[in-house]
Amino acid sequence: MKTGLTRILPYAAILLVTLTLIWIDRPFWIQLAIGVAITAVTALAWDILSRTGQVSLGSAAFFGIGSYALALFEPLVGLALAWVAVVVVCALAATLLGLLTLRLRRMYFAIATLGFALSMQVLVVVFPDWTGGAGGIAPPVLAGGDPRWQLALIGLLLLAAAGISDLLLGLRFRPAFFMIRTKPELATASGVPVVRMKIFAFIVSGVLIGLAGACYGGLYGYVVPTDVFTTNWSVLPLAIATLGGMDTTIGPLLGAVVLKALEEVARSTIGGTGYQVVYGAVIILFVIGMPQGIVGLLRRGRGLLARSGTAKKKERERHA
Amino acid sequence: MESALLAQSLLLALTTAGLYAAIASGLTLEFGVTGIVNFAHGEFVMLGAFLTYFLYESVGVPPLAGMLLSGLAMTALSWLVFDSFLSRVLKQDEHNQILATIGLSILLINLAMIAWTPDARVMHAPALLPPLEIGSVIVPGNNVVVLLVGIALYAGMIWFMRGTRHGLLLRLAADDPQLAVLTGVDVTRMFRLSFLIGGLTAGISGGLVALILYVQPLVGVDLVMRAFAIVALGGLGSIGGALIGAVLLSAAENLTATFVPGGGSWGYGVAFVIIVLVLVVRPTGLFGSERRA
Repeated sequence: MKTGLTRILPYAAILLVTLTLIWIDRPFWIQLAIGVAITAVTALAWDILSRTGQVSLGSAAFFGIGSYALALFEPLVGLALAWVAVVVVCALAATLLGLLTLRLRRMYFAIATLGFALSMQVLVVVFPDWTGGAGGIAPPVLAGGDPRWQLALIGLLLLAAAGISDLLLGLRFRPAFFMIRTKPELATASGVPVVRMKIFAFIVSGVLIGLAGACYGGLYGYVVPTDVFTTNWSVLPLAIATLGGMDTTIGPLLGAVVLKALEEVARSTIGGTGYQVVYGAVIILFVIGMPQGIVGLLRRGRGLLARSGTAKKKERERHA
Repeated sequence: MESALLAQSLLLALTTAGLYAAIASGLTLEFGVTGIVNFAHGEFVMLGAFLTYFLYESVGVPPLAGMLLSGLAMTALSWLVFDSFLSRVLKQDEHNQILATIGLSILLINLAMIAWTPDARVMHAPALLPPLEIGSVIVPGNNVVVLLVGIALYAGMIWFMRGTRHGLLLRLAADDPQLAVLTGVDVTRMFRLSFLIGGLTAGISGGLVALILYVQPLVGVDLVMRAFAIVALGGLGSIGGALIGAVLLSAAENLTATFVPGGGSWGYGVAFVIIVLVLVVRPTGLFGSERRA
C-alpha cells in the first residue's frame, strides 16, 4: 500500500528540482523545466477528466482559451482580474462542452471534443476584430520576463495541480469517479450525482489546462492561434498521462519528464523538421510494450520483488 | 450571375464530394467493424498521394495506374501495421486505441517530412479528361475524374459488402461480434480485412489527391478531419451514410466559401460546427445505429 512517504515524494521532487534550477540559474535547464511543468499540468488535468470515463481530445481548446482570455481581459480589467477571468471563462467553456457532450461515449466523445478544439482555432481567424486573427495577440509577460520567477510560478501551478489530483484520488471522489467510468448505471442507482460529477471533473480539468495555457502565453508575451489551438496540445496530455500511468498523480509527472527529455534528444539529433517522429515511435512502443504505462511497469516490478520464492515458482508453472 | 455562381459552386462541390466520400468510406468501414477510429487514415492517403506523384514524376507511370499501385501498396502497409501492433490494442482500453493510431499518424507525418521536406509539390500530369462545360459553368477535367473514380470506388465497396460472402461476414462481425464468434467466423481475420480494404481505398484516394491538390506531408490531416465530420454526419460505421455526409459537407463548405464574405478561410471550421451540432442533436449521427454508441 501507499505509505506517507511515497505520497509526499512527488511534491518534494517538484520543490527540489524547481528550487535547485532557480538557484543554479542555467537558462537551458530552466526553459526545459518550464516546458516539462506546463505539459505536466495539462497531463494531470487530462487524467482527472479521464477518471470519469471522458477520454478527451479537446485539451487544446482550453489551453488556447486560457492564453486568449488573459490577453483579451488584461487591458480591460487589469492583470489580477484577468487571471480571475481566465478561471471563469475556462470554467464556463468547460461547463458548456461538458453539457454538450454529456450523452456521447467513447469515440464519439473523442471526436466531438477534437471538433470543439479545432473550431476554436477557426473562430479566432473568423473574428479577427476581437481576437487579432491569424496574427496573434500579446498576453502580459509573466513575472516581468525573468525565467527564474516564471519557473517559480509555473512550479506552484504544478504543485497545485498535483494536490488537486491527489485530492480527487482520495476521499469519496475515487470510488465515485471510477464507478461513473465503469458502471454509470450502477453509479446512478447508488446515488452518485453522475451529471454533476462529470461536469465538475470537466471544470477542474478545463481550468487547470487554461491556467497552463495562460502561463504559456505569458512566457514571451506573444501567441498566435496555431501555437496554442494546435492538435499537439490535445494529443500531448493524453500521450503523457497514458505513457506515465493513468489514474495516478506520479504517472503524468513521470511521463512529462520522459517525453520532454526524449523530445530534446530528438531535436538535437534530427533537427527542427520531423523531430516529433520520436513521439510517434515512443507512443507505439509503449502501447505495445507497456499498456499500463511506466507506473504499471514499476508496480509489476515491485510486485515481483515482494513475492516469495514459492509464489514465483507457481507463477512460472502457470505460465509454462 | 448569382445562379451561375451557385451552379459552379455546387458542381465543384460534387467533385470534391467524390474525394471526401472515397476517404470517409474506408474510415467508416474500419470503425464499423473494429470499433477503432483510425486517426492515421489520412496519413495512408498522404502516402498514396506521394507514391502516385513519384511514380509519375520519376518513372512515368500514368496517374490512373499509379493510383491503383498506391492502393495496393497501402493495402500491404495496412496488413503490416495491423499484424504488428493494431491487432494488439483491439482488446485494450479506448485511450490506448486512440493513442495507437495517433502515434502512427505522428510517426508517418514526421517520417514524410524528414524524407521529402514539408514543401508542397504539384504533379505535372496532363489533364486526364477535357474540361466539362455545362452552359457557363466549367469543371476541370481532373475534377470529373475524381468524381468518377469516387463513384466507382463506392459502387465497388457496396457490391463487396452486399454481394459477396466476405462482405456478409464483415457485416456480421460489425453488427454482432459475439454471434460471429459463435457461428465460427474468425473475427480477427474480419478485423484485418476491414483494415486492408481501408488501406486500399486510402491509397486510391491518395492518387485522387495528387490529381487535384498539392502533395505534402500534412495533406492527410486536413482531409481526415473532414472525413471525421462526414462519418459523424452519416453515423460512425455507416457506408451509405458517409456518401450522403460527403455531399452535405462538400456543399456546405463550397457554399460558405462562395457566398460568405471571407468564408474561404473557414476551412474545416464548417466541418467542425457540423460535427458538434450533429453529435449534440443525434449522438449516433444521422444514419448511425444506436448499438455502437
